[in-house]
Amino acid sequence: MDLGAGVRVMSTVLTPSTTDELASIVRESVAAHRSLAVRGVGSWSLALARASAAATPLSMAKMSGIVEYVPGDLTLTARAGTTLVEIEAATRANGQWCPLLPWGTDDGTLGATFATATTGPFRAALGAPRDIAIGVEFVDGTGAIARGGGRVVKNVAGFDLTRLMVGSWGTLGVITEISMRLRALPAVDSTLVVQCDVEDPAVLARIDAFRRGPYVPLACECIGAAHAMTLGLGEARLLVRVGGNAAFVAESVRRLGELGTVEAHAPELWAHYRERDPYRRHFTDAYATPLAARVKRKFDPHGILNPNVLGEVTS
Amino acid sequence: METLRRIVGDRHVLTRSSELLVYENDALPGYHKRPSLVVLPGTADEVVAVVRALYAAGLQWVARGAGTGLSGGALADDVVLLGLHRLKKIISVDPIARLAVVEPGVVNANLTKAATPFGLHYAPDPSSQTACTIGGNVAENAGGPHCLKYGVTLNHVQAATVVLPDGEIVKLAVPADHEAALDLMGAFVGSEGCFGVALDVTVRLTPNPEGIRTMLADFSSMDDAARATSAIIAAGILPAALELMDQATIAAVEASVYAAGYPTDCAAVLLVEVDGPECGLDDDAAAIAALCRECGARDVRTARDATDRARLWQGRKKAFGAMGRVASHLAVQDAVVPRTRLAPILARIAEIGTRHGVHVCNVFHAGDGNLHPNVPYNADDPDENARVHSAMKEIMELCIAEGGTISGEHGVGFDKLPYMEKLFPGDSLDAMCRLRDAFDPLRRANPGKVVPSHACREWISAPGFGS
Repeated sequence: MDLGAGVRVMSTVLTPSTTDELASIVRESVAAHRSLAVRGVGSWSLALARASAAATPLSMAKMSGIVEYVPGDLTLTARAGTTLVEIEAATRANGQWCPLLPWGTDDGTLGATFATATTGPFRAALGAPRDIAIGVEFVDGTGAIARGGGRVVKNVAGFDLTRLMVGSWGTLGVITEISMRLRALPAVDSTLVVQCDVEDPAVLARIDAFRRGPYVPLACECIGAAHAMTLGLGEARLLVRVGGNAAFVAESVRRLGELGTVEAHAPELWAHYRERDPYRRHFTDAYATPLAARVKRKFDPHGILNPNVLGEVTS
Repeated sequence: METLRRIVGDRHVLTRSSELLVYENDALPGYHKRPSLVVLPGTADEVVAVVRALYAAGLQWVARGAGTGLSGGALADDVVLLGLHRLKKIISVDPIARLAVVEPGVVNANLTKAATPFGLHYAPDPSSQTACTIGGNVAENAGGPHCLKYGVTLNHVQAATVVLPDGEIVKLAVPADHEAALDLMGAFVGSEGCFGVALDVTVRLTPNPEGIRTMLADFSSMDDAARATSAIIAAGILPAALELMDQATIAAVEASVYAAGYPTDCAAVLLVEVDGPECGLDDDAAAIAALCRECGARDVRTARDATDRARLWQGRKKAFGAMGRVASHLAVQDAVVPRTRLAPILARIAEIGTRHGVHVCNVFHAGDGNLHPNVPYNADDPDENARVHSAMKEIMELCIAEGGTISGEHGVGFDKLPYMEKLFPGDSLDAMCRLRDAFDPLRRANPGKVVPSHACREWISAPGFGS
């Protein structure tokens, strides 16, 4: 159907609700020479723009829900389409938190966060997705269902399919389930705004000295004047989160006080701050090397998963 | 062989059976496999030349660091053994970026020694750290007591130059935050020598903590000690280490030269360490002591000084060695279970031990749920040998059934191969084989380890399989 220039007919969005259904979709896609553009809630506009227009959208939104959460183990297993909001609510009720806190909004999914290996302002203190994931289930480009890792916090059994999947942007397999570590919320959790000129190199050197310890903060971000304004913070500022017992936090605040006046803020400030990703993702031609090309051929031999997102096999 | 001698020099190709004997086993007693020959390159260029020569000759090989592995991973069964312990240069230490670049044969503790003048250390600390090499640690994704807070080898390796089994040299690195790229570095760590040989490794260095408090809590039941472990973790305190030793282990340690002054009349001790900046450290230590007492600890004592602390740790780090006094052989296990299941699982392990008439010594990383139920025994007694192996099998099956895994830090190697199919469904093992095949399509590196070869469909259907 031709609707004229500039109008593209959106093909049907595939929405599996079980891993078996997803595996069937992939197998049918192989047979039909159809490629798939995997998405969570579709907030990764950059990835969607890079995905080949000919690919059929595959939404993971229906594959959601927490599978297992044992607070005492500080581990959680959830399906890929589960939103970060859901994880946050479940863990907070037990005095715990999900250490991902990625750039973007919390209506994004767990699967997308791990598949894109998106970090956030807490990365240095709490780890990147590769450090937080402990197990994964995925469907590869042939429709095979595989698992790597498990639900325990330490595991070296078998080759590391978890690290292979995290950050592969759905180009080697569609993540269907993720097991991850959680953290206990610190006894005292303070969000602080320090009034200091973060554009002055002398101040920056002192901020760097603070950040490097020994009172390591959960996050320590320098915000330029324009960004500070949008957060309602006035001029250029230092935004810090410190967590620990009362004595640790008190000493951290004292040290920050040497940089400028310290004001306490509600932790919600971080949600606003995270909405604006300071990084522009740099996409590499991930499959340009012979080794990476072999990996791609082993997991997506027909090249149907997120074609073009990380580049294509050329050799 | 002439080619190999030309590359590394006559002295570094070993072929006499008296010389090969040294390389017949790793640190796990009970297995012996003789390599066809041993080649010991001294530089990265020699490693590459050796790998290329072996590739051209169509030979399989096994890489080996210091031979301190505990899963039979470095056993070479009539294939070439590639020893890397001569590559022991620390190439650079960058105290500002907190990174070091090292050759694979650098001993773990020597790296920390090199970082000490800068107030830094290399955090993963396997108990064999005075002997084991960084290359071996990368291959096994090695852990250690302090990994509870600081993470395992995977979390500390930033980059590596690797020679693949076909002789190609590749640079692997953890993608930067702003980079959309595959994490083949992450896939390489823990690949047990099946994906290639690291020629150099870039690792993160960690600042030394300002203060350390080391405590020893003793309990009159294992159950209480396990409950205290869960209570500490649930309280939101992340200790640097949280180790549990049972009565049998304490008895072995205290009877040995490594005696650490552990109370021999208790059922279990917890060795708990917190570290970090001074402000707040005593409060965390006090909170831990209170939790231990609430869970039934008879006594909690804090190390007075560095000497006292070293003594408390010595007993833990040398516990495997101390068990060597008890019998000629030691069966070593390395399962991980959910922390909240520790108490019932330890009770079941004790029951399994009693039923098979074997002497289980538990010494393990309780904070991670990483069990080491070890059994000293005499492998030359066929009856005892059989009982030990049945008990071990039952313990591993119990850990799998409880939602755990078969290895937390020692690797699968050769020893744990039979449990892989119980742990992972067939398609998962096949996916693991495919990942290996991307790195080593002809399966030249460390043949027969990690994944049972009959679990790999493509491999079975490949022409020439079994020949």
